[in-house]
Amino acid sequence: MASDKASNSNPKVAEAEKLVKKADKLTKLSFTKWFPDWTAATPLYEQAANAFKLAKMPEAAKIAYEKAATGQERSSSPWSAGKHLESAGGLARELGNFDEVIDLYKRASELYVQCGKVQPAADALDKGARAVEDVKPDAAVRMYIDACALLEEDGRDQMAFDSYRSAASIYIKLNRYEDAATVFLRWGQAADKCKAVQSQCKAYLSAIIVYLFADNFNLADASYNDCSQMDSFFKSDQNHCAVQLLSAYRQGRPDEIKHVVSTSSVIPHLDHMVIRLAKQLPSGKVTAIVDETGHNELDEDDLR
Amino acid sequence: MSVIDILTRVDVLCKKYEKYDLDKQWAGADSMSGNDQFLRLYTVVEADIEAAREKSQDAQSEKNRAVVATLNAEVRRSKAALKAEIPKLEKLAAKKVKDLSKEEMAARPDLIVALAQKIEDIPDGVTVGRRGGTWGRKASNPLEIKLDAMHPDDLMRPEHYEQTEESLALRQEYEMRRAKQDEGLDIIAAGLTTLKDMAGDINEELDKQMPLIDEVDTKVDRAAADLKNTNIRLKETLTKMRSNRNFCIDLILIVLILGIGGTLYTYSFSPFTPSYVCLQPLLMYQQSFAVTREQLSVFILNAIVSC
Repeated sequence: MASDKASNSNPKVAEAEKLVKKADKLTKLSFTKWFPDWTAATPLYEQAANAFKLAKMPEAAKIAYEKAATGQERSSSPWSAGKHLESAGGLARELGNFDEVIDLYKRASELYVQCGKVQPAADALDKGARAVEDVKPDAAVRMYIDACALLEEDGRDQMAFDSYRSAASIYIKLNRYEDAATVFLRWGQAADKCKAVQSQCKAYLSAIIVYLFADNFNLADASYNDCSQMDSFFKSDQNHCAVQLLSAYRQGRPDEIKHVVSTSSVIPHLDHMVIRLAKQLPSGKVTAIVDETGHNELDEDDLR
Repeated sequence: MSVIDILTRVDVLCKKYEKYDLDKQWAGADSMSGNDQFLRLYTVVEADIEAAREKSQDAQSEKNRAVVATLNAEVRRSKAALKAEIPKLEKLAAKKVKDLSKEEMAARPDLIVALAQKIEDIPDGVTVGRRGGTWGRKASNPLEIKLDAMHPDDLMRPEHYEQTEESLALRQEYEMRRAKQDEGLDIIAAGLTTLKDMAGDINEELDKQMPLIDEVDTKVDRAAADLKNTNIRLKETLTKMRSNRNFCIDLILIVLILGIGGTLYTYSFSPFTPSYVCLQPLLMYQQSFAVTREQLSVFILNAIVSC
């Protein structure tokens, strides 16, 4: 069957290879040729790449796509170049060259930015990050955050939510809870800018829960104090839940914490990874937090 | 004045002021037994009731409101005083008296009740209907409906708050139904929070997509405008082309002429063709070989015109 397929597509493959050779000749600099002819070579490369892809030869297709992209770039059409690079990146993922994947998608994103099209640039970064997140989570996270930064610069904060969510989920998977909480807080800030109150409150509550899961009550408390300054969070149900949770922690009662989590009406609507963390609260030992803000200074003997 | 006159006058006066004759009264009281005490008190109370009734009737017929008010007040005062006499009567009625039949003894409490009712019935300007006041349980009519008929001592008894079986069952059923209602309400609350969350998310999505749709809108408008322009230009070009109708006709005629010329040339050497007749003038001149180009064209044109 495979041989049949190969024989069937062989003429096409042969044709594609011929196209590639022809295009290579056009572009290679030699003694007689002083300037490469990209305008003629690019469509040949594209045709060859499509043929290779249909023939399920990802390696050759990827190379052809890359060359086509270079050609488009030289012809000052970065949009098409970006598209070709994305296709090349997808093929590289199939091949398993994850470094190359990252590289290709980053280049595609830069080209899109050159065109002035920010959304496709961010999408390219997202796609690249998703492709490598299992294998190279650090790089993936960086790409997600770059995508968020790109969109925020352009003023399209709302599109960044999905990237934030993916970045936070990777951090949680890596057990880097402080980083995850930071991402959530940034998400809340972006939501605040575009007046998406629901997302903002959910992001803040998620941050607090992640801090509590990381056994870091002080940070959770500090971030809660910061968040409660915001009117939109202060009036929300999520704030109520956060207050209950933090007071249960302060009193050091694990059964109370579990009760708050199980009967809360807002926690089941958060992202699923945060729900999973919340269900595992309290993690670690919970002791009553004593408020040591100078009550012991005033002593009866001081009146002497 | 004669003695008889003085005697009669004295008799009348004595009779009139008989009630102030204490000796006579005491004598009467000694001679009579306790029975008369009851009777005496009864008659006194009856007389007072009559007086009060007369006063109330005066009040009703009186026009002056102030006088009416004072009369009503007096009636009420006398009613209260009479009501105070009733317990005394009851005590006296309970006393066993000699020379009194058993039926009369039994009738005494009913008499007292009737008296009490008469006192109540005296109109004193108060519009609130008071039917069957609380005259103590002994004198109450069993068929009357009474509100707040619990004696304070009753409430203090511990058995008052005991639960019967029925009340226990009722309480349990109430608790069960209430718990079920609470469950149902909890489910509804959970559903509502989910709905609220979903609605909020939908709201945000719509906000997100609004600027995208606006962009699409502007781009599509621009594309539509471009298309319109292109269409107009195409239309103009086509009309320009088509209005040159003469141009087309000229082309067709030239083609025709060349075709006919060609056929004439090929068929000129065969005498049996139908075009032979037309070609006669041409053939004549061919023989002479002295025909000029202009004459040839003239003759061809004549042939065409004639055909």
